[in-house]
Amino acid sequence: MPIDFKAPAVKVENLSYKIGSETIIKSMSFQILEGDYTAIIGPNGGGKSTLMRLLLGLNKKTTGSIELFGTKINKFDRWKEIGYVPQNVLQIDHKFPATVFEVVLMGRASRNHSWKSYSQEDKKMARRSLEKIDMYHLKDRLIGSLSGGQRQRVMIARALAGQPKLLILDEPNTGVDVASQQNFYALLKELNEEEKLTIIFITHDFGVIADDIKNVICINQELLACNTPKELLSCSAMSDLYGVDAHLIHHHH
Amino acid sequence: MFEIFQFQFMQNALIAGLLISTMAAIMGSFIVLRRFSMISDTLAHVALVGVAVGLLMGQNPLWGAVIVSILVSWIIEFLRFYKGLYSDSIMAIFLSGSLAIAVILVSLADSFNSSLFAYLFGDILAVSKEDIITMFIVFVVMIAIVIRFYQQLFFVAFDEEVAQTSGINVKWLNILQMTLVAMVVALSIKIVGSLLIGAMMVIPVVAAMQFKRGFLLTMLVAIAISITSLVLGLIASYLFAIPSGAAIVVVALLFFVISLFFDKA
Repeated sequence: MPIDFKAPAVKVENLSYKIGSETIIKSMSFQILEGDYTAIIGPNGGGKSTLMRLLLGLNKKTTGSIELFGTKINKFDRWKEIGYVPQNVLQIDHKFPATVFEVVLMGRASRNHSWKSYSQEDKKMARRSLEKIDMYHLKDRLIGSLSGGQRQRVMIARALAGQPKLLILDEPNTGVDVASQQNFYALLKELNEEEKLTIIFITHDFGVIADDIKNVICINQELLACNTPKELLSCSAMSDLYGVDAHLIHHHH
Repeated sequence: MFEIFQFQFMQNALIAGLLISTMAAIMGSFIVLRRFSMISDTLAHVALVGVAVGLLMGQNPLWGAVIVSILVSWIIEFLRFYKGLYSDSIMAIFLSGSLAIAVILVSLADSFNSSLFAYLFGDILAVSKEDIITMFIVFVVMIAIVIRFYQQLFFVAFDEEVAQTSGINVKWLNILQMTLVAMVVALSIKIVGSLLIGAMMVIPVVAAMQFKRGFLLTMLVAIAISITSLVLGLIASYLFAIPSGAAIVVVALLFFVISLFFDKA
């Protein structure tokens, strides 16, 4: 197999972020390469939501630098290449008038700059994304009528419909049952291995770090040194935070 | 029953009403989903200041209403987005604040009290040819903008933050949307009146949502409910000699009550 050069999808250097006088993130540096499957883990209040918002361009005014696919974040304009799956899927009102298909089509909204409504290409991509998560048959259901796990998958389909190069997921398993979680990890693994999608997975839950995940970035205001799932086990900083019982879960059967 | 539409003033009221009720249902669909229902009421009171200014200066009050509403809609968006004030408090402040200002302006020259009454509750006799032309221009512009930015507006209504991360210019789109809402509200006060236009933007949409359909279908149902309420309301207004705005809103309210029976959840 040829060794291909992997460019960094995300490059963070000396990043600091303060709210008032309170330091949220302290001189953090790391890289996430294209094709990586990375978990960013840390306790609640440890700055990982802030880090995610910084990576998504929602929070600004930092010191240090963030580069996305080789471009400084303040000059970055290819946001459609970044798929974001938010945490709040359970908050969707059960009467919100949006079908699954309409929600997935949103993933195409920033690509569309014409007077036409969605093109055949848009609809094809939305359909393909829904088929990928095995939910095309539910395309006419209201998003609010689905279970937590199903909504989660629809949000992933929406992100995929935009044909992203990087997928960022925020606490993706909050309120989702165990069976759905298993499917979910299998889907992420498939996307990472077959579609070569770079995945960043943000969680406070030590237990969800699956062994499919290649890299782990542990943060608690600053970067803690534990870089692979295996190292995480012996990482004293993490066991201090989470207790000695922390262990990885395995999804291979 | 429909012979009443032979009268010129009823024809004017009908044409103006069709334009307004369609626009109100479309913009209402976005603002209801953004939990921003009160904005129409707030801007309607703000529009009264414009009406008062227009009457004082002897200009067309409709233009006064449009200009003042648009300016204030931008201020509201600024306070919400940049100053981080709660939307509901901002709206409460502007709602009563602008009513106070309008009342002061009116009392400064008390000769047009009766005229102002028409703007509070709507007066079908008050619709002129000129008003219809203004409404039609705004209608065409609004429909064009909504078609062009439909997907982005819908995305922002569903999830503002994710829309922003996907590269949609949310700030700009919200200002555009507020401007459209302000124009619709300001133009509506002739037909429905400023005290009742909020209901026209919200009731048909909430009634349509009870049928639990997708967004596009819900919007179309809301338009249908809005137009039907308008026609039946105008007829009732003529037959029973009651203010048109109140009649239209009461019909819409009936549709809302009926719609609740379709919700089997």
